[in-house]
Amino acid sequence: MHSILAVDDSASMRQMVSFTLKNAGFNVVEAIDGQDAWEKAGSRDFDLVLTDQNMPRMDGISLTKKLRDNPKFKTTPILILTTESSDQMKQAGRAAGATGWLVKPFDPAKLIEVIGKVIR
Amino acid sequence: MASRAVLRDFSGEKLYAHRLRGAKRMQIDDAQATMALETAQLLAAAELQDHLMTVTNDLDRLQRLIDDAGEALMCHFYGASQNVNVLMKLGEGQAAFDPSALKKAMEHLGGAITALQFQDMATQLIAHTNKRLRNCADQLARDTFADDEDGAAVLDEEPLRPNPVTQDEMDAGSCELF
Repeated sequence: MHSILAVDDSASMRQMVSFTLKNAGFNVVEAIDGQDAWEKAGSRDFDLVLTDQNMPRMDGISLTKKLRDNPKFKTTPILILTTESSDQMKQAGRAAGATGWLVKPFDPAKLIEVIGKVIR
Repeated sequence: MASRAVLRDFSGEKLYAHRLRGAKRMQIDDAQATMALETAQLLAAAELQDHLMTVTNDLDRLQRLIDDAGEALMCHFYGASQNVNVLMKLGEGQAAFDPSALKKAMEHLGGAITALQFQDMATQLIAHTNKRLRNCADQLARDTFADDEDGAAVLDEEPLRPNPVTQDEMDAGSCELF
């Protein structure tokens, strides 16, 4: 079973993402912000990281940069799921090493489809 | 709106001239007329600041209402989906069991997920707007009442970036793979 690290500071968003991913058969680990995700990523492997952008302590782009600097996550798909839709932010995400940029609100079927395309 | 009107009226040159003419009629000097004008401007600014603070307090209240509503909706959402799953399991293996209605119910619940994300988006939108309004109120206090002459006044920071929430409907957002 594929394991996904779902990162969002909003409890309701974490619940929605987890519900969607678990129903699709994924194992989900939740993190409350980038810092929490970074700590959890250090102790185990994930097949995909799905992260929010605007979060306290560490945002999604900073998390992506840190993960990409870690050989363990060099090729792990990292999707940023955020309300931000500006090209400037998308480019920053891309430059940090993100695999894709999804704008909230997400459609469950579309999210699963996109994950299916990038997960190994 | 009332505050804006007051500010506009008392800061206009036309009104200033009118006040001076009125002052002459009332046999008061220019200094008194200027003082009256400055007092009126201060009162208008104070009223405007009051309105700004009232709006920020209302936004805080709105945030609490949205949090409560979001929590209740999520609770019912999970309750319903868990019951549907239980019914599916109970029906499995029974010859007369037709799972199509339950599958349909699960699809409806899944369809609600997009709309249920309103809480996160509304929270970000309110937080940004609140920060901007509090900064306006603080700026007004500092500029009009010279509150921080000793440098002690604390200003709510102005948001550094534009509002992150640009969506104006709850349709699903875009997906872009790099």
